[in-house]
Amino acid sequence: MRVVDPALQNLREKLLRMGSLAEAILEKALISAWKRDRAAAREVQIDDLEIDRLDLAIDEAVLRILATQAPLADDLRGVIAAKMIATDHERVGDLARNIAKCALRLAEHPEVPIPPRLRALGEEVQRVLHRALDSFADGDPERAAQVLEQDDRVDADQDLVIRAAIQEITSHPELTSQGVDFILIAKNLERVADHATNVAEDVILATQARNVKHAAKLGQ
Amino acid sequence: MGRLAMQGTSAHGETAYHVATGPVGAALEIDDFSLWYGKTQALHGITMRIEKGLVTALIGPSGCGKSTLLRSFNRMNDLIEGLTVTGRIRLDGTDLYGAGVDVIALRKRMGMVFQKPNPFPLSIFENVVYPLRVDGVRDRDLLEDTAERALKAAALFDEVKDRLQENALGLSGGQQQRLCIARAIAGDPDVLLMDEPCSALDPIATAKIEELIANLKGAYSIVIVTHNMQQAGRVSDNTAFMYLGRLIEYGETQRMFVAPVVPRTQDYVTGRFG
Repeated sequence: MRVVDPALQNLREKLLRMGSLAEAILEKALISAWKRDRAAAREVQIDDLEIDRLDLAIDEAVLRILATQAPLADDLRGVIAAKMIATDHERVGDLARNIAKCALRLAEHPEVPIPPRLRALGEEVQRVLHRALDSFADGDPERAAQVLEQDDRVDADQDLVIRAAIQEITSHPELTSQGVDFILIAKNLERVADHATNVAEDVILATQARNVKHAAKLGQ
Repeated sequence: MGRLAMQGTSAHGETAYHVATGPVGAALEIDDFSLWYGKTQALHGITMRIEKGLVTALIGPSGCGKSTLLRSFNRMNDLIEGLTVTGRIRLDGTDLYGAGVDVIALRKRMGMVFQKPNPFPLSIFENVVYPLRVDGVRDRDLLEDTAERALKAAALFDEVKDRLQENALGLSGGQQQRLCIARAIAGDPDVLLMDEPCSALDPIATAKIEELIANLKGAYSIVIVTHNMQQAGRVSDNTAFMYLGRLIEYGETQRMFVAPVVPRTQDYVTGRFG
């Protein structure tokens, strides 16, 4: 075993823990919104603190490894990817908090059925995030590539949810507050999918030394 | 920066992926070069180009042949009994091992810097102008101009200009090594060969030598053998990884250290073996 191996393993374990917390916090935030569960919504705020703590711990671990171990090749790519993935997990935590805030507001207003398309978007984004985390856990660039393919569909589904919510607000102005929160939840979900995409891109960088970020935009 | 891409297969069938860069051309062209110490083969069919004006690092575990290859460039290995070589090493088209090659003249075109600083027990001035003295130069102005130029190029002039007649052995290790570099470039060589030039130096002296290498690049083609991956990363444009006398992978330094193509290179630079 190399001197650097325990530090890399420790970094990986922190990241896996952070990923599973990100997945769990998103689940809890969505449940709080779907079920008008204020207690769950408040727990989300607390759960996010643990993700933030791990984010700081990973920052420190990455700096220590770079300063003391000078990693190269796949080690270097792995450490850089870990830092970027940690940032994405941390953002997922923030977005889950935003969704939980929507849930608290929704619970203050008369109950309105959750649009099925919004629920479906939530499930879809959870699947995308799960697949991205799996691709990291298994170091599987093929599964990561599948995540990249799903991003456009999430964007399109988000648009449908937003359009339907705007129509609903136009037809029933008394439901504006709820409609706006549905839009915000959809927007936050779409951003979660963006971060899942980033994770997948980082997995490809770490495992295959290919930087596929902005590939479509830049025509690579 | 221009780009030359070559791909090939090394003698033992493992892919050696070559990507070398250079706007000017080749300083040295090594073509299927093999070397034996008696019956022991130390180099196996090395084929590569050392780009003119760039810094090329040779890396690999101890005994991989990198110093042997470096010393083949100025035929220092000739002194070893039982040495045989096949293949070619060309300097500006001239086969270094061709019949009738003037080895002394060849070595003048190759400045050499060793692991341990090896100044002569002479004054600082006489150390620098030694290559000219050997050539019989007596013109005082030429000697002084050369000493100043070489010491400035080696970033040592300001530190020693007031004590050029003092014994060079009184300098610090880092200063001695820069003096050896000044001596190496005083003869105006084409190529500078450096065999672990910083391994005996502290980090500050090492940083000065590395800065010096960066400044000398362009004017000279530099080949450096180093065990220090970070140093290779800092100073070189291209890196060649050797193992058991074979060239395993050769390419742009950044790529070699971020995304090497051959698994054995990756294992070496990450410390998984070697």
